[in-house]
Amino acid sequence: MKYALYLGCTVQSDQYGFEASVRETLPKLGVELVDMDDVSCCGFPALSSVSVTGWHYLSARNLAIAEKMGLDVLPLCNGCHLSFIETIHALEADPGLKEIVNRNLEKEGLHYEGTAKVVHLIEVLHDVVGVEGISEKVKTRLEGVKLAAHPGCHAIRPSDLQKVDDAENPQKLDTLIKALGAETFDYPEKIDCCGSQLAVSSGRSTLKIAGEKLQAVQSYGFDGLVTTCPFCFKMYDGRQRAIKGAIGDRSLEVPVFYYTQILGLALGSSPEKLGLQMNQSPVDGVVNKILGDDE
Amino acid sequence: MGKPVLVIGGGVAGIQAALDLADRGLKVHLVEKSPSIGGVMAQLDKTFPTMDCSICILAPKMIECFRHPNITIHTLSKVTGVSGGPGDFKVKVLKEPRSVDASKCTGCGVCSEKCPTKVKDEWQEGLTERKAIHIMFPQAVPLIACIDRDNCLYFQKGICQVCSKVCQAGAIDYEQKAEEIDLDVSSIIVATGFQEYDPSELGEYGYSRFEDVITAKEFERLVCASGPTGGHLNRPSDGKLAHRVAFVQCVGSRSHQKGYPFCSSVCCMYATKEAVLIKEHEPASDVTIFYMDLKVFGQGFQEFVDRAQSHWGVKYIRGRPGEIRRNPVTKDLTVWYENTDTGEVAEKEVDLVVLCTTMISRPENKELADVLGLELDEWGFFEPLDPVMNPIETDKPGIFICGCCHGPRDIPESVAEASGTAACAAETARRYGQ
Repeated sequence: MKYALYLGCTVQSDQYGFEASVRETLPKLGVELVDMDDVSCCGFPALSSVSVTGWHYLSARNLAIAEKMGLDVLPLCNGCHLSFIETIHALEADPGLKEIVNRNLEKEGLHYEGTAKVVHLIEVLHDVVGVEGISEKVKTRLEGVKLAAHPGCHAIRPSDLQKVDDAENPQKLDTLIKALGAETFDYPEKIDCCGSQLAVSSGRSTLKIAGEKLQAVQSYGFDGLVTTCPFCFKMYDGRQRAIKGAIGDRSLEVPVFYYTQILGLALGSSPEKLGLQMNQSPVDGVVNKILGDDE
Repeated sequence: MGKPVLVIGGGVAGIQAALDLADRGLKVHLVEKSPSIGGVMAQLDKTFPTMDCSICILAPKMIECFRHPNITIHTLSKVTGVSGGPGDFKVKVLKEPRSVDASKCTGCGVCSEKCPTKVKDEWQEGLTERKAIHIMFPQAVPLIACIDRDNCLYFQKGICQVCSKVCQAGAIDYEQKAEEIDLDVSSIIVATGFQEYDPSELGEYGYSRFEDVITAKEFERLVCASGPTGGHLNRPSDGKLAHRVAFVQCVGSRSHQKGYPFCSSVCCMYATKEAVLIKEHEPASDVTIFYMDLKVFGQGFQEFVDRAQSHWGVKYIRGRPGEIRRNPVTKDLTVWYENTDTGEVAEKEVDLVVLCTTMISRPENKELADVLGLELDEWGFFEPLDPVMNPIETDKPGIFICGCCHGPRDIPESVAEASGTAACAAETARRYGQ
């Protein structure tokens, strides 16, 4: 289990907790992470409104670097993951585009062939390491903690491209939460969008969309929300205070975690090493509950 | 007068064809794979557009088949080999053992009362349980118990034998073996019917995830007086009476992604019928039908829909729901849809959702088509000689098709076709008979 780790812009610019917790936990599960040199932006599908070729070029450039390393790529961000998946599909479907991309890549001695696979964090944990591989390493079981799963749209959609999990009934993140001894159950808003894609054009709608989901999560009695997407996390965690204001709900209080953060707590890592001090939502209660049970 | 005719399939089409032929003086072999004739129509609560009780109009025909001196019913049987041509088909029929002596069983039902093994009742669409030894349904023809060997303790573990101890007629026969029968017939009528599409693959509707999202066929059992709840609309999850019900049309039909591209042709009408049934049970119920187009083209059909709206207050919303969700606490369902008349996206909370699933071909058609030398279309339905001019004939002279084995259709059309095939078969018998 060895992957080229692709962090992506969001993780490197403000989601340090995610990176820290990934680097802390995955090696404990036997997953070796190799850093990628000279990578660029994933291409971010929104760039396609300016230049489709430019998007695929940027995206393929990163994949070409992974190919050169002889490793499959593990992007940490759902958005980067989707960008790579779409590029692989587009270049396979359009040999002409692939040639244009390669002509540009050759300038820096790179070549895209499509041999490096793109894997999602949920796939690595669920399909490769496996539930048993995780539960046998758990030191602190998260008994009595109820966590809502939020896989995030770009991990599961579009359903004919993404094969990370079932688009209508994703269950892998739930299974992973249960592997730590925590409780989870399906809730109607589970596959709702976090709203962050609308942030540029309609800030208020974004906050309302995110707020409705957080309110729902709170109403079902969950102790917190768990995701693996830095974009969604940023929305629910970083903007929770703004959300409270926008929807006028002062009682709204939902601790938000990266899956690797609660995984780390279960594996016995300290909250600092998992970057939990950087979460802006009120996570202390849940963290203390988990750690307190251990003592 | 000549050789007998073989009718494959004991649903309403097969029954009608058999009766027509028998009344003309021809001998008929009616082959049915389940323990009783009756088919899907026997499972339905009411029929559209007349709201007749389905079993009440079918049962007399089933009994007539049973009592008719010219008809021999072969249940638990399937056709395994056919050779020859019109006027002289040699047919092999494999008869599975019933494990009950048909000449002794009185149909009293004590055996299934005492049988300790419970399994899902397929005839009740899995909404309740039956015993390993059972009579398929109260009006079953023949009214003879049958042991489901896959679930019987005696056949699986060599223990129990309670049924043989309690049977006063001494009808239980564990030693029965499958037998092969040779028939010599002048022509063959195929009436194998359809099966219901399984909407589990349409994840957005949550069928098989949410107990209260059910198919139309399941609803027929739920609303039927002989169903698992005695006709009360107790929803499967918690037994709550369903007063708010949504019907979703075109589930698995008219779709180029998942499901099938063809129209199932009966759903607009059966959904309307089922909606009216709910209103008849409880006029204050809130019943909504989500549809794409209303294809109600038969005699009296449009009037039936109009009356459902004006008299019964059934709501019709043009829009295909995008998602069904369930509240984990109340178990109530929310249907998300776009009302394409107004362009509004809206949601509706209901107690029960009925998916109006398409009719699809039976999986056994493939095997049967090979045996008969017939062609199937790309969806597994039997191909007619010509869809316009010879819709009930096949490219094999002497073999005819009727009912849903060659595409979705309603009961009146199936019955009309059955009579058509009976006429064709009679003509074949006359031409080749001596």
